[in-house]
Amino acid sequence: MTSRLHIRTPSLREVESQGEGHTGSATADIISTVEFNHTGELLATGDKGGRVVIFQREPESKNAPHSQGEYDVYSTFQSHEPEFDYLKSLEIEEKINKIKWLPQQNAAHSLLSTNDKTIKLWKITERDKRPEGYNLKDEEGKLKDLSTVTSLQVPVLKPMDLMVEVSPRRIFANGHTYHINSISVNSDCETYMSADDLRINLWHLAITDRSFNIVDIKPANMEDLTEVITASEFHPHHCNLFVYSSSKGSLRLCDMRAAALCDKHSKLFEEPEDPSNRSFFSEIISSVSDVKFSHSGRYMLTRDYLTVKVWDLNMEARPIETYQVHDYLRSKLCSLYENDCIFDKFECAWNGSDSVIMTGAYNNFFRMFDRNTKRDVTLEASRESSKPRAVLKPRRVCVGGKRRRDDISVDSLDFTKKILHTAWHPAENIIAIAATNNLYIFQDKVNSDMH
Amino acid sequence: MEFKLEAHRIVSISLGKIYNSRVQRGGIKLHKNLLVSLVLRSARQVYLSDPCPGLYLAGPAGIPAPPPQQQPGEPAAGPPAGWGEPPPPAARASWPETEPQPERPSVSHAPRVGDEVPVTTVTGVGDVLQGGEADATEAAWSRVERPRQAAAREAEGPAGGWGVFPEGSLAARRPCGCPLGGEDPPGTPATTLRTACCCAPRPAEDEPPAPPAVCPRKRGAAGVGGGPAGCPAPGSTPLKKPRRNLEQPPSGGEDDDAEEMETGNVANLISIFGSSFSGLLRKSPGGGREEEEGEESGPEAAEPGQICCDKPVLRDMNPWSTAIVAF
Repeated sequence: MTSRLHIRTPSLREVESQGEGHTGSATADIISTVEFNHTGELLATGDKGGRVVIFQREPESKNAPHSQGEYDVYSTFQSHEPEFDYLKSLEIEEKINKIKWLPQQNAAHSLLSTNDKTIKLWKITERDKRPEGYNLKDEEGKLKDLSTVTSLQVPVLKPMDLMVEVSPRRIFANGHTYHINSISVNSDCETYMSADDLRINLWHLAITDRSFNIVDIKPANMEDLTEVITASEFHPHHCNLFVYSSSKGSLRLCDMRAAALCDKHSKLFEEPEDPSNRSFFSEIISSVSDVKFSHSGRYMLTRDYLTVKVWDLNMEARPIETYQVHDYLRSKLCSLYENDCIFDKFECAWNGSDSVIMTGAYNNFFRMFDRNTKRDVTLEASRESSKPRAVLKPRRVCVGGKRRRDDISVDSLDFTKKILHTAWHPAENIIAIAATNNLYIFQDKVNSDMH
Repeated sequence: MEFKLEAHRIVSISLGKIYNSRVQRGGIKLHKNLLVSLVLRSARQVYLSDPCPGLYLAGPAGIPAPPPQQQPGEPAAGPPAGWGEPPPPAARASWPETEPQPERPSVSHAPRVGDEVPVTTVTGVGDVLQGGEADATEAAWSRVERPRQAAAREAEGPAGGWGVFPEGSLAARRPCGCPLGGEDPPGTPATTLRTACCCAPRPAEDEPPAPPAVCPRKRGAAGVGGGPAGCPAPGSTPLKKPRRNLEQPPSGGEDDDAEEMETGNVANLISIFGSSFSGLLRKSPGGGREEEEGEESGPEAAEPGQICCDKPVLRDMNPWSTAIVAF
């Protein structure tokens, strides 16, 4: 993985001012999810204010070779609004927890977006022609005075400025008692699953009034609760397999052919705890915050607070690879517990060839690990380093000992700048990094093929 | 000692988090609260099992024992000073009444008394989370606690037999120094046990862990305080208070809990709040109750919610404890 990257930085906030004119507070702009579609042409982001912004990659043009393949805003819409559950007297946040694209089946694009309780299927269509020359209506749509009509004409389609229309096609509501943390579209392109803290439901994309419960880990007595579901995903190729992770750090692979209710796992992936690292916070830092199948379907990637781990589906006893993201935080867990940072849920991502994995950290740092060369790099998403065609410089956190000039010391890390959400283009070396309310898109121009 | 201070700090931070989660937008987050409760439980175990009686008696805000909140007219709640002190003779009479609590896995703890006495007690008292989670936590702290267990075992001596006490009838004989009143026919195992337990070891005994383990959370203060080994030698403190909750049958859990909290004792609060996960969630007023699908997890879980309304309690407490009570 080369470390030379070219940068394009559209700020979500700048985009906002051009578009809808939403004047929410700054927290509403905080990006809460990032997802490329299956071709990488579109990039969707969701934020805390319930909005979805879709970016589209500009086709490469000979006229402006240096702006080839940059992402511009394609559409912005309000996906979810805040709601109030009167029965339980609690507010339902409009924050978009996850967006997942459906495989494209016609000219339209579709995506699922979800907040804590409700999943919505949005259809995104383009309109670039409109009919002109009506007989009974004039250009503004007002009825013509019939006495002025002297001849008949056939309306013709004329090109117009591209208009992107978004409409909610399905609303999957009332399926979950607890907060939805993940959704995943099945490879059969007909069903998808949604997971909350204790249950996973299987939906059909065309049916909104019922869903099947396929996993239920709610204990009969809530006092016996010891673990919750933290993430789940369908296998990319086998439509009967899915995995879900728990707050205890385990992964469960389930086969829907085995039983209607998949409480009993087919495989349990769990690494025994290292007793020498035991502390008050061992349980928290072992909680898995994200799980992703590799593109090949052979491996799984998990993220817990301090590490990313690669698991082989054929080996349940332990991960095959473990990478330390920011082990220097291990001695600071108490402070991180106090300021709630220990509960941050970082996501992880594979590159298209499954050779590099990426995850975010603090101080707007994000980390990449090359599985083949075992090299890793820390990069920073910041405005200073984000000028177009600038090259990202690797960063280093020093933990005492020799300190080089540009090193950052652990104590000067900014824990309010956290990169929780990252996405990697399915085929090329383009990554999308969400840093609070800014979206950074980095492209590797030197070597844009996968290696 | 530092361990204990850190545990104390973590407990107070955790309780603050759970309190704040009630007013969070979007309702209580189950995952985060579960993790916080796990930390709370770990810290509580360390806090309560650390053999530092001096710190215990000082109370949460450095109040010297006995706590000044002690109402003259009331029977002393005793937990702060009561920790590590053997129950006064009269108190023992209450044990049989508290023991037969069907929901308490008292018997299951009995066989473990010999091995993990302090841990068993601490987890047994009010700790409804069972099985693997409790075991894992116990195992995790086994390194810390083993030295104390050895000490405890020694101190207990014949008291080890008390693990059998959950049978109830035995304990009934125990009040006063000489339960042997010939009430049982000699030769029964009960007699043997009683003989062993009652008189001789008393001066040197530690707080018997088994009965507190048996007792439900309602006796949290007493149980908790008495559980860990390493309690001060009985009779060492002239101002030891009678264990009021031992005297009371657990008729109303609310009353017990409220009166326990008047002492401002951290352990009480910890044992109550940390006892049941859903109990923590249930404290939220009116909303955010994730498990509310018509389920009630039992009277013991419902009690904590009632404590919050107990105004007389609030009046008597130091600010730190007040914040926790208000939660």
